[in-house]
Amino acid sequence: MSSTGTTLKHYFVNHEQQFDAAKLGMWLFLVTEILLFSGMFVAYAVYRSWHPEVFAQASELLDWRLGALNTVVLLASSFTVALSIHFVQKGENDKVVVLLLMTLLCAAIFMVVKYFEYSGKFAHGVFPGAGFEPQGIIDGKDYSKYDIPFAPQFFSIYFVMTGIHGVHVLVGMGVFVWLVTRVARGHFSPQWYTPVELTGLYWHLVDIIWIFLFPLLYLI
Amino acid sequence: MAQGQHHIIPIRMLAIVFGLLLFLTLATVITAQIDLGLVNVPLALAIAGSKAILVALVFMALKYDNKVNLLVLVLGVVFAVVFLALTLADTELRGTIGITEPGTTELTVEPAESE
Repeated sequence: MSSTGTTLKHYFVNHEQQFDAAKLGMWLFLVTEILLFSGMFVAYAVYRSWHPEVFAQASELLDWRLGALNTVVLLASSFTVALSIHFVQKGENDKVVVLLLMTLLCAAIFMVVKYFEYSGKFAHGVFPGAGFEPQGIIDGKDYSKYDIPFAPQFFSIYFVMTGIHGVHVLVGMGVFVWLVTRVARGHFSPQWYTPVELTGLYWHLVDIIWIFLFPLLYLI
Repeated sequence: MAQGQHHIIPIRMLAIVFGLLLFLTLATVITAQIDLGLVNVPLALAIAGSKAILVALVFMALKYDNKVNLLVLVLGVVFAVVFLALTLADTELRGTIGITEPGTTELTVEPAESE
């Protein structure tokens, strides 16, 4: 059941050092991800500080119930990932497969909710950029009343931030599919499970980004 | 048995953190419905920050991990804060220097008559 991953590269003293190096590399990558998103958070902060009342008003058009649902779904997926690492460390790979599939299911639910949110907005003329022309009435909200100066900025930021976050969720789903097939083929053991650990770190970071996006875009 | 000695986080601990995260989500939703004036935004950010710290320390295992990983994360966050602070120091305190249309400031130079 051995695979290439279990071999000790000649430039490492032992497996422990090899594992720590892989993890440190992953953390460095995660910091570049934080800095990528920080640019968008800074844009949000600048435009919000310039037009606080417009941002507060425009965010009324986002359904906080869907945002909260997606928050719970992503938190649950982080929980199942953390559990999958717990069980891969114990060598209970059957449970790891189930937990990773549950994670995939949560990620899929997240994207489906996002799809309905986006298509609902597009159907009423809420587009990023120059196409912004809100119209129609949903849930007692007259969208045409939100055609105010600087509201398009809020929605451009909303679409870019949630869009890039959504791309990260899709990438994560792809990695989880690959990971599930490897767990099912018995590639990992308590002695070597580096890919599970690193994918878990990535997924938790995607969760943390959403933890900030949810209140900033939907609530306040 | 290279990775056999790694700290295995107990299920109970993971479940408690998951419960706390759900509770904080509920808290941020409820407090956002109430108009607290200037407090709303800092409160929402404080709750989000607490959730992020919980995820980083327990789900991402930084609490049990080699401290160099925590250092990398903290440095990344510090630089993100520097980025935010310096940008806001510009955009919030820039005054009238960015206004170039004639007549909008006292120090306006008359436009050259080139037409």
